[in-house]
Amino acid sequence: MKAALAGASLFAALFLIPAAYAQAPSKAGFEVKDMSDMSDFDPANTVVPTGDTIKIAVVASFSGPAALVGQVYWASISWVAHDVNKRGGILVDGKKKLIELIKADHQSKPDVTKKIVERMVLQEKVHILWGTDGSNLQKIINETANKYKVIAINTASLSDDLQDATNFSRYAFQSSMSADQLGRAHAYYYGQIRKKEKKFYILCQDYSFGHVLAEGFKKGMKEYYPDAQIVGEDYHKLFLTDFAPYLEKIKASGAEVVFTGDWIPDAANLLKQARQMGISLPFAHVFLDEPNFLHEVGVEGTKGLVQISQYGVEGAAFKTPEQIKYYKTWNDQWRNKWKTPPFNSRLFEHGAGNIGSYIQQTYWLLDVMARARSTDPEKIIQIWEGDSYRFINGKVLTMRPCDHKAVQDLHILEFVPPDQQKQSFNIPPYYWFQGTSAAGPVHTIPAKVVLPWMDPKLDRCKGKNPAG
Amino acid sequence: MDPVTAMYVAQGIHGLAYGMILFLIASGLNVIFGMMGVLNLAHAAFFMLSGYLGYQAVSLTGNFWAALLLAPIATALCGVLMERFLLGKVHAFGHLGELILTVGVAQIILAAVKGIWGTENLSLRMPPILEGQIALAGLNYPIYRLFIIGLALVVMAVMALLLYKTRLGKIVRAAVADAGMVNALGINVPLVFTLVFGVGIWMAGVAGVTIAPILTVFPGLADQVGNDAFLVVVTAGFGSLGGAFVVSIIFGLLSSYGIQFVSQFAPILVVAFTGLVLALRPHGLFGTREG
Repeated sequence: MKAALAGASLFAALFLIPAAYAQAPSKAGFEVKDMSDMSDFDPANTVVPTGDTIKIAVVASFSGPAALVGQVYWASISWVAHDVNKRGGILVDGKKKLIELIKADHQSKPDVTKKIVERMVLQEKVHILWGTDGSNLQKIINETANKYKVIAINTASLSDDLQDATNFSRYAFQSSMSADQLGRAHAYYYGQIRKKEKKFYILCQDYSFGHVLAEGFKKGMKEYYPDAQIVGEDYHKLFLTDFAPYLEKIKASGAEVVFTGDWIPDAANLLKQARQMGISLPFAHVFLDEPNFLHEVGVEGTKGLVQISQYGVEGAAFKTPEQIKYYKTWNDQWRNKWKTPPFNSRLFEHGAGNIGSYIQQTYWLLDVMARARSTDPEKIIQIWEGDSYRFINGKVLTMRPCDHKAVQDLHILEFVPPDQQKQSFNIPPYYWFQGTSAAGPVHTIPAKVVLPWMDPKLDRCKGKNPAG
Repeated sequence: MDPVTAMYVAQGIHGLAYGMILFLIASGLNVIFGMMGVLNLAHAAFFMLSGYLGYQAVSLTGNFWAALLLAPIATALCGVLMERFLLGKVHAFGHLGELILTVGVAQIILAAVKGIWGTENLSLRMPPILEGQIALAGLNYPIYRLFIIGLALVVMAVMALLLYKTRLGKIVRAAVADAGMVNALGINVPLVFTLVFGVGIWMAGVAGVTIAPILTVFPGLADQVGNDAFLVVVTAGFGSLGGAFVVSIIFGLLSSYGIQFVSQFAPILVVAFTGLVLALRPHGLFGTREG
């Protein structure tokens, strides 16, 4: 008997637990057939309901240098709210309630974040804090959520320490991917899938995200690509004006790939200056995907870039009529209706990538609330811990119960010229963008090899393996 | 040239190019702050505004040179309007009044660029003739960065000629030294100062268009470069254009060789150098007046 039990446990450990975090079929998921008619949606002119609503504070940079980020979030979440409201809202607390979004502008400043988030909770009485760009700011959101027992969803900040032993809050959920995962995912791709280049140069921003990302990459390289060499490693200050000295070192190092987690404007300036200096090395990156500056660099300059995505899918992007319909619903609106900048720019053309991810993460949140039938945080937590949700593109996320981090496959996108983008953009016109290289081949990095980092000091996770 | 030597030489040229970028940004500030004693915290915002105006000029004309000509002039006109109608009214309150006013103007410029051009990241393409690299003693070096070095030298030479070899320059230097006496001689000192202010902003404008092709034009551009410009002016000493030139080169070389040899400390080197200079020479390396 004991031997049978031991055997069963071993079987479960070896096969069932990892399998549970592969593409497990999920009953909860986005259904296109339930979508409302979105033909009247315009992110520049959203309709905000009043009365007894489910209030969501969208905490982001709506002014200052990062204002574009806030607008990206706004377009994403207001799309979801518009859809759900046209369906009549969500049945919670015994009645159907519409979604009311409130902009909470943190101006990318910690002191402002604290004030605005407290105002959202105490004065506006929001049910959800939806955030944000900047892990230092998400930390403040999570602290406030914990203090006032309000649910916080992190869709965009990537630091692993947001849910570590020091900072963990039962009320905060990280549905985004995380920095350590990203680094390891890139390493897995180069070591286990591509198996070509062997010399890598790490150039990241000199702050926590840059360092954690790099550490994840190095850790991943040791595990998945021990033959490879890190031929150089540098961390530059944020908003650097001149990358030339770093690029000169990269040139001299013999590197075959530059690994970076830089975001705009550093990402744009790094790529631009590299190409201006005649350095045609590929960049393994996270945020080199803003289409306007990619068009500036051009097809040749962007060929060979390798990006990690939290909204990817292996092979063709559109595999079912429902996925095509969902894509066209967004794309038609962008093409025909949205005239106000920046929503009429290329950045919003496809509703895929990070925008797609923010949208689907928000649908997940609302689906959890609908199943909880309540705005009570305790009921939401009960449903969300261990919950799985299927995105429209087929990707499944599972909320690890002990530390509220999302377990998910990640995907690597290889940037190719327009005539090769049909590999992923498999419907007319068969390219994402004509003026730049963009996603062609897409490879899956299975969840079991990129499980999010789990802090061994977090009591709730003690005794649990990273699969949960 | 062997690869290692080539790398060190290249870093030296990078340092020079970055130094000239700093000089282009700081030179205008040196003129305004250093010579006129006006604390203009909107200087970096004008630099950013010129980047946007340059982008617009290229969008309309398809010509970078037209942008380089027109955008700084338009920016200078904005600066002159600020000096004429706003700054003049707060001079009586000293630096505090100038500080508050120019911070406000910087915020207005930021709001204006976002209102007109939006929040997206814009690019200003360099002219085709300056694209690519050139072989330089066994090294392949970007042509555009050599252009930046050349342009900065031209600006420096033109400013030096104007200030020290022309009657206008004599009047400006005299007015800066003793406005009352110059006024008593029948020269319109307020007009002279407006002209000087306009030239300072024009220089920021030239910097904005020149540097835009290697950077991203976005609402945070002013914040990206503003601090560096002030460090150059303070370290060089107020009123010394030549000093700003030399200090810019020192900063550029400290930055590039710092990144080459001690990259984790590179950001500190410039600030440490400034601290050392001010500790030994509080008026700056080439300072000629109180700050």
